Amino acid sequence: MKKQKGEKKGNIFTDFGTAVVKGDWAVKLTLLWMGAGYAKRKQYGRAIVMTLLEIGVIVFTLRFALQYVPKFNTLGTVVMEKVFNMQTMKSEMNDYDNSFLILLFSLFSFVIWFVAAAVWIANVGYVYKLQLKAERGEKLNTFKQDIHSLVEENFHITLLSLPTLGVVVFTMIPIILLVLVSFTNYDQQHMPPNSLFTWVGLDNYLSLIGGGGLTVTFSYAFVRVLGWTLVWAFFATFTNYFGGILLAMFLNSKWTKWPKFWRTLFVITIAVPQFVSLLLVRNFFSNGGIVNTICANIGLTGFLRDIGMISTSYIPFLSAPGWAHVMIILINIWIGVPYQMLIATGVLTNLPADQLESARVDGATPAQIFRKITMPYLFFVTGPTLITDFVKNINNFNVIYLLTEGVYTTTNQLMANSQAKEVDLLVTWLFRLTQDYYNYKMSSTIGVVVFIICAVFTLLAFNKVTGGAGKESDYA
Amino acid sequence: MRKRNIKYFTHNLVLAILAFIWLIPIVWLVCTSFSDYDGMNTSTFFPKKWSIRHYIQLFHPDTVQQFPAWFRNTFIIAVFTTIISTLFVLMVAYAMSFIRFRARSFMMNMSVILSLFPGVLAMIAVYFTLKTFGLTNSYIGLILVYSASSGMGYLICKGFFDTVPRALCEAAKIDGCSQAGIFWKIVIPLSKPIIVYTVISSFLVPWMDFVYAKMIMNAGISENYTVAIGLYKMLDKSLINSYFTVFCAGGVLVSIPISILFMIMQKCYVEGMTGAVKG
Repeated sequence: MKKQKGEKKGNIFTDFGTAVVKGDWAVKLTLLWMGAGYAKRKQYGRAIVMTLLEIGVIVFTLRFALQYVPKFNTLGTVVMEKVFNMQTMKSEMNDYDNSFLILLFSLFSFVIWFVAAAVWIANVGYVYKLQLKAERGEKLNTFKQDIHSLVEENFHITLLSLPTLGVVVFTMIPIILLVLVSFTNYDQQHMPPNSLFTWVGLDNYLSLIGGGGLTVTFSYAFVRVLGWTLVWAFFATFTNYFGGILLAMFLNSKWTKWPKFWRTLFVITIAVPQFVSLLLVRNFFSNGGIVNTICANIGLTGFLRDIGMISTSYIPFLSAPGWAHVMIILINIWIGVPYQMLIATGVLTNLPADQLESARVDGATPAQIFRKITMPYLFFVTGPTLITDFVKNINNFNVIYLLTEGVYTTTNQLMANSQAKEVDLLVTWLFRLTQDYYNYKMSSTIGVVVFIICAVFTLLAFNKVTGGAGKESDYA
Repeated sequence: MRKRNIKYFTHNLVLAILAFIWLIPIVWLVCTSFSDYDGMNTSTFFPKKWSIRHYIQLFHPDTVQQFPAWFRNTFIIAVFTTIISTLFVLMVAYAMSFIRFRARSFMMNMSVILSLFPGVLAMIAVYFTLKTFGLTNSYIGLILVYSASSGMGYLICKGFFDTVPRALCEAAKIDGCSQAGIFWKIVIPLSKPIIVYTVISSFLVPWMDFVYAKMIMNAGISENYTVAIGLYKMLDKSLINSYFTVFCAGGVLVSIPISILFMIMQKCYVEGMTGAVKG
């Protein structure tokens, strides 16, 4: 698609400004009636579409949005009550407010208004362009041509509208909603429709970092969970990264007899769905599980008890702090290294062969080649994945939840008070708070904090590694 | 020569040991699934008595265990997810790779930023929203969750599309082919490996996912579960002693098709990485 020469590349707002100032009466009328400009240029198809759109937004606003948006600042004041209706002689519910619906539908309204405003601004600019075209005596598109342009020069609009809608509704709006809930007191005591919740400002954030004087010791648990999350993410990322590279190089070596066969064996582990393999491993290592039986039989349990590492009659692989932490990281190696091996294998087959060859000709030892060529190349190509993996591990819900939920119970009363465990990541903690304790305000707050952590790590690291925004070829 | 042989031998021995360690749990899964005992076998690695009756039990549903229904549910969800996701991914990838339009770089940057925030985080809010519309405990809700944002996973596919020679498209345009025509008649037929990759990877999502299924289907009745939730619930403390072997058998049955698809997907991924038209 070539840009038409001569047409200035302005931004949408300057276009709007010039259009309003320089446009004729039809353009100015477009400010009120979005179809006006098209009607004047006899583009009735467009005029009808824009008019319908405008009517749609107005009807939406009057019939729907105005029920909710005016209550947005209080999130509702009328509590649900049973009132006795004298006419029907029955108890009925009063016309109560539902705080959550007010919040959600207000947000929807804001998004729709935002989009409508953008369309309105762009529309005025477009109508002005039509005017210029008409003044230059150029032929204007018929409605049929407009429709046809959706498979031609405007094909991207056809392609992208549905996927974008999906992302907006299922990713953007939830994220904004999450941020909003973190500023409210939405929890089990304030559950719509039976009761209301309202804005509390930064209270949730304060109780997370130790202020607010809450009886529930969220700050105590938060610091510990955050610490373990970062430790876990660090170890999980680096053990898998280097383990994967080593395994890939080992498999790629000329000494390997049947590389494909070995590779397949390793891949089988990750081809089994995680909920099967992790739930299985959890029982494999459970307190009364098979590994414990074997350890007891060979005397390992007794030995560990003698040197004071355990005080129970079994090895608490996944049920005591310390043990569980180490085991989780080890099990994660089991489940993660084959993945990394596959990626590293792909990269290794693309090693610059000419460089390797010339190094060999110059008499470099294999160790030198590895240090000076292979490693820098691998790091250059896979470096950015280290960061994305780190962020993914911060949010690695599956491994932690499937391995510890229902198995690990904390003995630390302060942790238990805030429904946290020593092995929790921030995400598993917030999942439990939502699912089992309906503590939406705190889980949203934790969610926002995780957000910020992930964003900071990613932005910092990406700037370091790629030197600003990634080049197009980086994605390929 | 002898030294070479020893090195050769030790190298492969180390590999064998590693592979052995990696496969222990899988072997245990398969062995236990053939055990005659209902609960977890804790005294020996291999079952004392072998039997296939738990596989047979899988096909005779009871109140807890509804494996055929779970399998069917997951399959239905997976099919719809695949259709929507594949279309979305191909559409977005084509638009980003072949068309230069005003908001292109903005949208690409936006998708990078949004993808930094992993889905697990937004899930509470997604759950709220679905609940408001009465879509929890329904397949539609789950399908929407799996596929609605799938457009953001376009990068691998776009990387492939970038290797399609532009001369081909120019030639088609001169012959009077529309953009949509180029998409359907030229790019799609050239992209078989990456389409297979996209289809399989989106088909696998509902089979592999646990979090969203747990969240959205949690309150439903057993018959409506997906495989992941159904199998998870079997390991409940009160049920594990009578259903552990059934869990293993179910796990094996689910893993076989998924592993095969996974292997095909890996192969297509590698093929896709080598580009569209081989020179």
